[in-house]
Amino acid sequence: MYRVQSITQAYSQAPWRKQLQWIGLFMLVLILLAMVAGIYLSVSARASTAGREIQIMYRQMEDVSRNIEDLETQLAFMLSNTEMEKRAEELGFYPIESEEIFYILVPGYADPKQVILAEPPGSSLPSSPTISPEYTQSLFDWLSERVFYPASPLVWEVEP
Amino acid sequence: MNKLNSWRYSTLAILLTAFAVFIIIQMLRIQISPQAQALRDKGELYSGTWRTITPARGQIYDRRGNLLAGNNTVYEVGVVLDEVENPSTIALAMNAVIDSDYDEVFAAASTAPSSEAVYATLARFVTEEQKQRLEQLAQEMAVAYENKNDPSRPSLAGLSFEPRLQRSYPEKDLASNILGFVNWEGEGFFGIEEKFNDELAGEPKRVWVPFDPNRVEELPEVPQGSSLVLTIDRVIQQEVERIVENAIEQSGSESATIVVMNPKTGEILAAATSPRLDLNEFWRYDEIFVDSTPFNRVVSETYEPGSVYKVLTMASALDSGVVKPKTSFLDTGSIEIGGTIIRNWDSGAWGPQTMLGCMQHSLNVCLAWVAKQLGANKFYQYMQDFGIGHLTGVDMAGENPGRLKLPGDEDWYEADLGTNSFGQGVAVTPIQMVMAVSALANEGKMVYPRIISSIIDNGHQYPTSPRIAGTPISAETAKKLTNMLSTSLEVESSVALVDGYRVAGKTGTAEIPTPFGYTSNQTNASFVGWGPVDDPQFLVYVWLEKPTTSPWGSIVAAPVFSQVVERLVVLMNIPSDQVRQQLLEGQ
Repeated sequence: MYRVQSITQAYSQAPWRKQLQWIGLFMLVLILLAMVAGIYLSVSARASTAGREIQIMYRQMEDVSRNIEDLETQLAFMLSNTEMEKRAEELGFYPIESEEIFYILVPGYADPKQVILAEPPGSSLPSSPTISPEYTQSLFDWLSERVFYPASPLVWEVEP
Repeated sequence: MNKLNSWRYSTLAILLTAFAVFIIIQMLRIQISPQAQALRDKGELYSGTWRTITPARGQIYDRRGNLLAGNNTVYEVGVVLDEVENPSTIALAMNAVIDSDYDEVFAAASTAPSSEAVYATLARFVTEEQKQRLEQLAQEMAVAYENKNDPSRPSLAGLSFEPRLQRSYPEKDLASNILGFVNWEGEGFFGIEEKFNDELAGEPKRVWVPFDPNRVEELPEVPQGSSLVLTIDRVIQQEVERIVENAIEQSGSESATIVVMNPKTGEILAAATSPRLDLNEFWRYDEIFVDSTPFNRVVSETYEPGSVYKVLTMASALDSGVVKPKTSFLDTGSIEIGGTIIRNWDSGAWGPQTMLGCMQHSLNVCLAWVAKQLGANKFYQYMQDFGIGHLTGVDMAGENPGRLKLPGDEDWYEADLGTNSFGQGVAVTPIQMVMAVSALANEGKMVYPRIISSIIDNGHQYPTSPRIAGTPISAETAKKLTNMLSTSLEVESSVALVDGYRVAGKTGTAEIPTPFGYTSNQTNASFVGWGPVDDPQFLVYVWLEKPTTSPWGSIVAAPVFSQVVERLVVLMNIPSDQVRQQLLEGQ
């Protein structure tokens, strides 16, 4: 009996050591939690920043599109028929009469029947979504995708 | 820890646990309560905003890609009410820069901010220059009164500017009658703008935009409204508009209309009329188009065409074989049809004539006789085949079908056959006449007039194709009549002739009916012609309304045709007949 007690005593830990172990374990869990929270916070912050940037870029896209429209119209005002005539006159040009024209035959030349301002029908594929899933997918979504669709690419390529 | 404190700690632990449990239960209760959904919905409302994405209105180009209708940036000026420091300064500045009403702006800017009133609109469609002036004023005031704490200091704080697009027309009044305009609300009126309003405007989309950047979603692509490429050539259009102005001035006409079309494809190269409106100032519409003046006479106004209509009568008779170019007719100066005596334009008797002579001298009596030989049924069948009394379907708003009385109609009398044969008692639009005459210039094939060359939708350009409206006469008839008309112009030494180019055409002078019959001296003078005869590239229709210098089409309208053709051959790169022949031989 004494022998057993002495062995137990020999291998039992001091109360302060047990406390330290518990504190250590608690701290470990705490640090792990803090790490997960930190990573989550960092990822969330980056996602939020990216989201905000996307919102700003959408606004900028609208501004740019509007500016393009506006500039096209301004250019058209500058190149209007009346303006061009005025500039031509200032440069010494005058409207030509039929008897002043000398015609020559240019083999192979054909007057373009129609101005081309856009692609002909059926010449390109419809555009794909421009936001990569990385910016919209949650960690859980990503994990489930990796589990259920392991063959899917790790990074989605975004079309320029 | 002694026993005395132990129960205290236990009690505290139980209380805290109970409190925590209570909070959890309360949270669960709120989550599953009947109001939960309403609360969630309310919360959702504040988590973002609904935005309507309005696509830019499609552009309109001429056949060479020059912009005729585009969009420019204008601003809506408003005030953020809780940022306003001095409504009086805002009202003064708005009055000085934009000419806004002081009292209205002051009242709007003085609105007390509340959860209901956050923002007030002060002015819409403010130009870039005006916006810059207001911003400059705001900045200058902010600097000048920076250190003054007086609450009544001048300030434009609170002003905000929201950009948007507005329709703009770089060519101002060029082709205005064809284009039409878009009002402040973005609605198209007249012409292309009205006819293609839905296509040009595109389809606005309403989307939910969350404030939370983590919930950002891809905004749907809202395609721009379809853009249109017209068949109009702006240089030809401008030249023709100048000729219209000169013709009005020289002939003292009330208005003038000229249509230029490619008779093979139906492409309208120019369609000029008067009056015209600078489309950037569309609010002056009422000022310019007074007393129901039509916006576009080319498609909207009907009139009795007079002798130009004889080409259709003669074409019908030649095609049916009732007459030949050399068929003789003795003109006694009058003919009776349905109890009505028809006389020539000069009330004279022109004696023996061939059909060529009848057309050359524009003899009403002869053409009435021709129509009588043809018979009412055949005559009106041909007229219907030529599209008279029907819409042409040209892509411009406000087209009028005109009126062709037919046997069996309550108001049709036998005498109408006689008068209709020389273009009286029948109401047509210029575009109808152009379409009908295209059969003569295009080997018997009548083409639908086209103003849209292609449509650009979703980044792709879809060309339109020429369409044949029918074959009212044979190619042989078309050729015969073209030669007859060309010869008659040459024999007459008409002022419609153009050096170096063989053209065919016919003058027209129609009396304008009043409620009491043809009692006024006012006329519609017109000319229809096409050329070059061996390979027609253009068809020109000229109509002068109520000319005062001379009532005759041969005097006032024929020279206008000649002026148009002289410019057309240059602008369309059409060499003279001789040069073309040489070039063909050299090939």
